[in-house]
Amino acid sequence: MSQRKRSRGSGFSQGDDGDEDFNLSQMPTHSQVQRNLERRSQDQVNQKVSELVQFLLVKDQKKIPIKRADILKKVIREYKDVYSEIVNRAGRTLQQVFGLQLVEIDTKHHVYILTSDLPRAEGENLRRDNQTAKLGLLIVILSFIFMKGNSAKDGAVWEFLRRLRLQPGERHEVFGDVKKLVTEEFVRQKYLEITPIPLTDPPEFKYQWGPRAAKETSKRDVLRFVAKVR
Amino acid sequence: ENREDMLSSKSNRLTEALEEANKLFSGVSCAREAALDAQFLVLASNLGKEKANELHSEMTAFDSLAFAEDLLTFMGINRIEVEENGTDSEGISGGYLPCNAWHKLGEETEKYFRRAPSFHYMLGSFKSDPPVPRQRIERQKKTTGGEEKRAMPAQLKKMEESHQEATEKEVERILGLLQTHFKNDPDTPISFFDLVIDPNSFARTVENIFHVSFIIRDGFARLKLDDDKLPIIEPLKDNEGREDDHSAGARNQVVISLSHQEWK
Repeated sequence: MSQRKRSRGSGFSQGDDGDEDFNLSQMPTHSQVQRNLERRSQDQVNQKVSELVQFLLVKDQKKIPIKRADILKKVIREYKDVYSEIVNRAGRTLQQVFGLQLVEIDTKHHVYILTSDLPRAEGENLRRDNQTAKLGLLIVILSFIFMKGNSAKDGAVWEFLRRLRLQPGERHEVFGDVKKLVTEEFVRQKYLEITPIPLTDPPEFKYQWGPRAAKETSKRDVLRFVAKVR
Repeated sequence: ENREDMLSSKSNRLTEALEEANKLFSGVSCAREAALDAQFLVLASNLGKEKANELHSEMTAFDSLAFAEDLLTFMGINRIEVEENGTDSEGISGGYLPCNAWHKLGEETEKYFRRAPSFHYMLGSFKSDPPVPRQRIERQKKTTGGEEKRAMPAQLKKMEESHQEATEKEVERILGLLQTHFKNDPDTPISFFDLVIDPNSFARTVENIFHVSFIIRDGFARLKLDDDKLPIIEPLKDNEGREDDHSAGARNQVVISLSHQEWK
């Protein structure tokens, strides 16, 4: 079987192939994938694996979960028939080379995140950004929700945050628009889940842990944090 | 309506409402009324669920106020010594939070998280995501990279060029000065030190010497020692300079040392 000529170079093309190519209901089964693998050149498949690893690493910068549709469209493309094999190998590479875990946090919509496999190393962060400070804010909210029985009303959350000098209306010197950070960024990153409480007028919301929070930390760890602070 | 009332753990209003609905249901004869009844049941069950939740949270012995205070302490709050008004009306205690407060908390937090570190290419990425702006680009050997590295070399070239231009311009400027002076006063060579020393800046002085050295190297001017054995500088006409170049071994090297003290 002749090898497919690659019309585009290596790297990520942004072309729009039309979504009908990626009809997600037609993902091949495991045995089909194994058979399809034999028809492909090993080098090309490994190339795709490397591309996927790079793609995932870059996509993870903002901590916004990665959708399978994006992976198929931007990286896998015509190798859709061996998709699961590529993903598995990419996962192994991430684990063995980078110490990162590729986790599917939504098995229905197929959404992935990267978490760290290794214990946190001692020492300062070399990057000068406010990611560290945001994490501090996050654990404060997560512990509050946890201590309130895994769910807290938005009123209660913000009243608590006010005691820490965070006002939803004011601009904070470290976080900027705190309300936006909590209700939009943390939610988009899947650290928090905010759902409206039905039949409330004016509408109220309940705050819970998001799936990323559940994977990156645990209730036990948060409890240890609370105990440490006391 | 009367939500708070219904939710209050002390009231039985929810039960009463349910009982009343039950009674009314026996009088129901058409579909519309049944629909209303169903709607009421949904409302009631939602309220019931919330009531149950409230029950649970009443039982936890979590003092959020104390927790907040402990957090502030951990972050390094500077409490004002004199407690003028205890807790003010808003319940926020006094004191100043240092500007690295949240960062400090974040550092402790990282131990409890298994977050993947953000991955960034050192030389910047080709994607439209804003990379961390790097002013000084390291001169690395250009490995055969993919598209990712292509954006960077273009920028690097630009920077080198502007560096050179600046030097050349300075050199030309100084030469211009020298020549103008000589046009006005052809018999007096300029004292080298008069030319290069900037009374206000040692660094600038060193730069000036650097630029003048270019002029001499290229043969546009000549350094001599005058009667007092102090260096003087005079510009050469074009052909003079070139002749010097061709003669064997005409190049001399001079090391001028100038310490900060001497400069003063």
